[in-house]
Amino acid sequence: MEDEEEEAPLAVEVDEPIELSSQNQLSSSPPKDGDVSVGVTVITGYLGAGKSTLVNHILNSQHGKRIAVILNEFGEEIGVERAMINEGDGGALVEEWVELANGCVCCTVKHSLVQALEQLVQMKERLDHILLETTGLANPAPLASVLWLDDQLESAVKLDSIITVVDAKNLRFQLNEHRSSSSFAEAYLQIAFADVIILNKVDLVSPEGSGGVLEELEEEIHSINALANIIRTVHCQVDLSKILDCQAYDATHITRLEALLEESHTLSTQNLHDSGVRTLCISELRQVDLDKVRLWLEEILWDKKYGMDVYRCKGVLSVQNSNQLHTLQAVKEIYEIVPARDWKKEEKPMNKIVFIGHNLNENILLDALRACAAC
Amino acid sequence: MAGGSDVAEAASQSCVQCGKPAHLQCPKCMELKLPREGAAFCTQDCFKASWSSHKSVHLKAKLSTLGAGALGEQNSDLVNEGWLYCLKKGQARTPKLPHFDWTGTLRPYPISSRRAVPANIDQPDWAVDGIPKIELNSDLQHVVEIKSPDQIERMRETCRIAREVLDAAARVIRPGITTDEIDKVVHDATIAAGGYPSPLNYHFFPKSCCTSVNEVICHGIPDARKLEDGDIVNIDVTVYYKGVHGDLNETYFVGNVDEESQRLVQCTYESLEKAISVVKPGMRFREVGEVINRHASMSGLSVVKSYCGHGIGKLFHCAPDILHYGRNKAVGVMKAGQTFTIEPMINAGVWRDRMWPDGWTAVTADGKRSAQFEHTLLVTETGVEVLTARLPSSPSVFPWLNNAS
Repeated sequence: MEDEEEEAPLAVEVDEPIELSSQNQLSSSPPKDGDVSVGVTVITGYLGAGKSTLVNHILNSQHGKRIAVILNEFGEEIGVERAMINEGDGGALVEEWVELANGCVCCTVKHSLVQALEQLVQMKERLDHILLETTGLANPAPLASVLWLDDQLESAVKLDSIITVVDAKNLRFQLNEHRSSSSFAEAYLQIAFADVIILNKVDLVSPEGSGGVLEELEEEIHSINALANIIRTVHCQVDLSKILDCQAYDATHITRLEALLEESHTLSTQNLHDSGVRTLCISELRQVDLDKVRLWLEEILWDKKYGMDVYRCKGVLSVQNSNQLHTLQAVKEIYEIVPARDWKKEEKPMNKIVFIGHNLNENILLDALRACAAC
Repeated sequence: MAGGSDVAEAASQSCVQCGKPAHLQCPKCMELKLPREGAAFCTQDCFKASWSSHKSVHLKAKLSTLGAGALGEQNSDLVNEGWLYCLKKGQARTPKLPHFDWTGTLRPYPISSRRAVPANIDQPDWAVDGIPKIELNSDLQHVVEIKSPDQIERMRETCRIAREVLDAAARVIRPGITTDEIDKVVHDATIAAGGYPSPLNYHFFPKSCCTSVNEVICHGIPDARKLEDGDIVNIDVTVYYKGVHGDLNETYFVGNVDEESQRLVQCTYESLEKAISVVKPGMRFREVGEVINRHASMSGLSVVKSYCGHGIGKLFHCAPDILHYGRNKAVGVMKAGQTFTIEPMINAGVWRDRMWPDGWTAVTADGKRSAQFEHTLLVTETGVEVLTARLPSSPSVFPWLNNAS
């Protein structure tokens, strides 16, 4: 048995680590260990549109970032997944087989895919971004709902954006494909849910810049989803800064929503296709009662009132008894309203909400929003 | 202090001697990996002044490891008899204590071999091969079922049996009993009632109930460790009977438990009680987390976020997920005829959890204690029915209930 010392030894100085609340996460500051979560980009699109080309372009560009690519047949059991890690500047591509453990679903909050991605982040010394290339997926919504985690979970990963790669040469054909059937061509869903659309193979469409064709295509895409950012590419050569760190699901990152406030013309689009998938924008100047807004949104998103099927929803709200601009975001049934920041002096507080979906009725939505105005 | 999970946590420690902000740590405590609060000092002088009483903390820790040394011998005896440590969620065993940077003082012990279930008992599909195939592929993972009157009646019966099984386990709790012996009581009581202990072989879980001691948050595996005076232990029982599951858990005191643990357990009990009181048709599922979080934060405690309550019926776990933390995006409102559990896990320290090498046992990241309570609930037209409620015969083990049930 050791003798305990009679004299106290020298006490040791310790630095207390302070856990930042999720609200303090600044996207622009350089990533420090443990502070910032790794963005996950979902890449979807038809076979042959150029998903793999995009992925390779991202991995091969000289950008100094360590990026992992997960090839995922979503819907099947996640067992051994192939993960490719880019070694960074000028380095060779390292292809590693990474076993992403099969998590048990029993009463765990995070889906096994999320747990697998978190494990990947933990395993690698430094990971700047994750690309999730979906091979068989028509509808990205289930993936988005799995990856769009509550801020409270302070997860090591977070959904950054959904990118759809579209084949400019074949798009029109793909959109018209299901004109007669009751279900939509996959193309509509992939476009509707996208935050960024890579309009690829533009060289095959207008080889001599024969005007108008690309503009028409973009108009068609925007008629479905007026919020998405469309980037024209050849061989998916795209500036990475436009597609990484989009923070499309960050409630407090509202640069793109601010543009919404400034839109002088309406974002609402006409029904260009039989699909009935379009974008609709409504606005209201008076402040709204937040409780009423929630009930109204839940009627539409959860109860599918009036038969409207909302795929995406984004907006800013001017809320009664608050000087904070509130942001609204929804993917299918999942929605959140969060106070983002104070209204700026030069801004005119107002409510502006964009719906992307099917069977949308502008009058009903506008009346309902007006009914939410604070009395 | 820890006023809710969105406030900056782990602010500076307070000096053990005088309470002022402390940035010095006792090096011996660091070496022994003992909790920071007991080892923080503001100056060398305060450290010196408290030394003669402080060093008893080291002695206590050493005695328990020595005890573990003696137990190490006991454990190797058990290993020779076929008791082994659990690995890979129950799919593997090992004779040696796995390596891990344990967050507290608790360690896994070897577990006994699998208990048999008589052939005449109706068993869920995982009893055979460990995989709950029906559950994994069911639509009920996405849609919340409204139970028929017949299903509801069966759930009442099964939940009552689960309550009686848990009560039987509660009655044997005392210092010196192993969690394995508790598991045997649960297993035998369940079989005697004609039911199957749902946890057994569920995703390869090796035992018939979960026993979670001290810093274990949930899913602790019954093993050869004897409960000690001062421990708190949660027993989580689920029974499968007449085609439906009933699920409940309670945290109990072993012998004389310190005040902090008593407060932790009572607060956890109350947060479940408060959550149940808001259950009624039309209530958003999301609201449960707000209620629990509010109550826990008020007491300076934190809410575990990695595990949630769940729909239950002919499936063990199905929709909806019942999140226990605030500001969550849970979808939907409660409707009459739905059955689900609420099972808050509340921690004395930080909310984060870690997983032991066995792949099941969840422990607090800081080694401090955690408590849990669970009920299976039925939403009625006017409110809620607690299907796993205490019975007049339930043992009086909660001082705040004043010996009433």
